[in-house]
Amino acid sequence: MSRNHQKNSRILAISLTNRGFGFAVMEPPETLVDWGVKTVRGDKNAQCVEKIEDMLNDYAPGLVVLEDASAKGSRRSTRIRILCAEIVAAASLRKVGVSLLSREHVRRVFFGDYKGTKDALAGILAKRFPEEIENRLPPKRRPWMSEDYRMAIFDAVALGLGLGAIHDQQDRRHGMPHLRT
Amino acid sequence: MVTTRLPNYLRSHRKRLAFSQEDVAFLLGAGSGAKVCRYERFVRVPSLETALAFEVIFRKPVRELFAGQYEKVECRVLARAQKLLETVDEGEPNRIAIQKRKAIIDLAAAGDGELNNLS
Repeated sequence: MSRNHQKNSRILAISLTNRGFGFAVMEPPETLVDWGVKTVRGDKNAQCVEKIEDMLNDYAPGLVVLEDASAKGSRRSTRIRILCAEIVAAASLRKVGVSLLSREHVRRVFFGDYKGTKDALAGILAKRFPEEIENRLPPKRRPWMSEDYRMAIFDAVALGLGLGAIHDQQDRRHGMPHLRT
Repeated sequence: MVTTRLPNYLRSHRKRLAFSQEDVAFLLGAGSGAKVCRYERFVRVPSLETALAFEVIFRKPVRELFAGQYEKVECRVLARAQKLLETVDEGEPNRIAIQKRKAIIDLAAAGDGELNNLS
């Protein structure tokens, strides 16, 4: 797929969690088309793949973006790593491109210096998309709390925007005009 | 621009207003949210009345809500407009033909398409 086509493609961003996954469907330049969380029980991987295949059929994205579960320093579980590979396979079958982004990359896009909490990131995204996801912003996490399931939505949106940042960087390197504002 | 638009963006607009599928079904006068789900998943195309109801609910024009569908229809109409233009140009160049020709060209200009042989 050409870089131009990738940049103009609809993106399906997926953030895998213990309970299922968060997702965001985005159209360039930065329109959120759909977003939410899917919860699964039982054979989690099989159910996740089934739901994601439904989304691939419905939204026909040009690109899927996932967190790179095998990146250096990643502490994702074996199940998630296997699931990641299964999603990549499902997307490839449909000739849909896949991008894997590390958490560090996403943090760098939004915070520049790798420092920044998930709560802070979610706050930034809620301000950027107030109509869409501000009402899903969970309360600030305290040390004794588990991560709120809604955080997966913000993780997914961050992945989608992180991919856009890569395309912009590549454009700048190739002397092409910066299309995103 | 995105390569192809989705048939509709009903779900997107529904979620922005924090409506559930049941809420929208109630506003449409439909039995259940399942009908709304079918529209949102592009399984069914709503009737004209239902499409207009969506415009009322979401306060967005039908053309925007059903962007992909609109583009398909526009493409087909412009293809037929091209053929109609050729027919008009083959006939007598009277005032009616001139007016018709202008209308067809304006039709294409209003959309995003182009017609050939506009001299």
